[in-house]
Amino acid sequence: MKLAPVDYLILAIYFGFVLGIGWRLKRSVASSGDFLTSGRSVPVWITSLAFLAANLGAQEVIGMSASGAKYGIMTAHFYWIGAVPAMLFVGIFMMPFYYGSRARSVPEYLKLRFDEKTRGLNAITFAVMTIFSSGISMYALGLLFQLVLGWSFTASVLLSAAIVLVYTFLGGLTSAIYNEVLQFFLIVLGFTPLAILAVAKAGGWSGMQARLPEVMTHSWHNLASASQNPMGVDAFGLVAGLGFTLSFGYWCTNFLVVQRALAADSMSAARRTPLIAAFPKMVMPFIVILPGIAALVLAKMNVGYVLPLKGNSYDYDQVFTTLMSQFYPSGMMGVGLTALMASFMSGMAGNVTAFNTVWTYDIYQSYIHRGAPDAHYLKVGRMATIVGTGLSIATAYVAQHYNNIMDILQLVFGFVNAPLLATFLLGMFWKRTTGHGAFTGLATGTGVAALTLSLTVAEGKGGWITNLHQFPSTMAQNFYIALLAWISCFVVTILVSLVTAPRPEKELEGLVYGLTKLPEEHGVSWYRKPAPVAVLVIVALLLLNFWFR
Amino acid sequence: MLDLRTPTGWFFSILGVILVGLGVLDPGRASLTTLNVNLYSGLPMLIFGGVMLFLARART
Repeated sequence: MKLAPVDYLILAIYFGFVLGIGWRLKRSVASSGDFLTSGRSVPVWITSLAFLAANLGAQEVIGMSASGAKYGIMTAHFYWIGAVPAMLFVGIFMMPFYYGSRARSVPEYLKLRFDEKTRGLNAITFAVMTIFSSGISMYALGLLFQLVLGWSFTASVLLSAAIVLVYTFLGGLTSAIYNEVLQFFLIVLGFTPLAILAVAKAGGWSGMQARLPEVMTHSWHNLASASQNPMGVDAFGLVAGLGFTLSFGYWCTNFLVVQRALAADSMSAARRTPLIAAFPKMVMPFIVILPGIAALVLAKMNVGYVLPLKGNSYDYDQVFTTLMSQFYPSGMMGVGLTALMASFMSGMAGNVTAFNTVWTYDIYQSYIHRGAPDAHYLKVGRMATIVGTGLSIATAYVAQHYNNIMDILQLVFGFVNAPLLATFLLGMFWKRTTGHGAFTGLATGTGVAALTLSLTVAEGKGGWITNLHQFPSTMAQNFYIALLAWISCFVVTILVSLVTAPRPEKELEGLVYGLTKLPEEHGVSWYRKPAPVAVLVIVALLLLNFWFR
Repeated sequence: MLDLRTPTGWFFSILGVILVGLGVLDPGRASLTTLNVNLYSGLPMLIFGGVMLFLARART
């Protein structure tokens, strides 16, 4: 793939705007709160789009179109079952406790609700995870631009890291959030034409249905058993594993996304943030998955498109970029690559800003240096940005040399939030849950997950101790590990809570259901209230699932 | 604080102008389509950019 000068110009203009936004926001940063939590002052349309975009990395765009080509429209379950219900839940039921407790981070909520050790466990796990995720994101960027454009790995990694560092260092969380929104618009406006062109060329949806096996164009028809579909999952594994534990675990407890909602300017805005984000989330499959399915059709139609190969097998990860190079002339090509670059960068920025906050408030201020003036923590937050970016770059190079370690880590990140979900559900909705219960449950759940991975095998992965069970796919393995981790954490937390002393109810006000005055809103129009927005989301979700059943 | 609609509006207006300009003067070619992709993708960006700028201005 070759770029024309105009493509480089577009990339340069984007970099200019990104840095300019950071520079302009520098003035609004006066305290550690402004830098790390945006001073809780961001309008709801911005937090909503950032909530969505923080999760919408380039790995997702490329991975989802690859899955589209591999598994068909079933891939949309990652959005319809695997995201939207959890987004509704966190907005309606959990945000009153997150936002209402005034906690500045997810680990800090655990400190308020339970105790110091539960917070410490979560803060440290989370900090390590963000650094690795951000490093993996950089690694993927370096690899893609090397493969597609022949750029040097080091040059793309260092350039993108430098830009991310500058804008997050200057404007903090607000800067990261603003650029996530810009990236979101760029993805939508830059990739929608590709989806339309590819689907139209493939004969529209009906033409695609006619040319593909039935399993590729139906999302629910072939889920009775794992052997009926290429994903290797059954309806129970899908709904309980992906739809409940994995998805609720991610959207409801991951500080990276929750932080965006907490930046909103009011409780009502914080609650509506994930609900409003659910609308664009629902239609994302049309932009990222449909091109993948269309590519499969085009390859069968003899129009000059062939599926990319790596050795003797298809390299689905290249489907998106090969489509782009054959549908986009210079100009839109630059926009498409800029959008990819932008989403890699905001993936990094999201992790770096979440790392900052947890490091500064939950580790540094809690365990290393208490009671300093706020200016000190602002400085620490800024330093953490530099250190976090540096560690991410180091991780990217480690990933380049030790691919296997990264595979395992990504497997582990897949279910690390599953036991945490049980901790949060019990903590928020059962006042009897104790700190000892939460900590023991969390440790047990994580242990059970690791043990299950060591005892089962899927596609040659896992089973380091022995092979007790063979899963039809890594996806199925992942779903069931998450489910077991969740159940064991849930049960152990309840058992240990029942034999340890509960906290006095007075201390739990504002933190637990039943002891918190839930916000009531009078005199605002219906679309500014969380419940009616949620109903609209549910109706749209049901229609989509019915349409593509 | 900076109104995000202003830089967003300018960014997409500039992209729109570049793409529409290319589409009119030198449409370029892609192997799988004969449509003027730059023109038809640039127009929505130009409109979106304009709307963002209008909204930012309408508020202040």
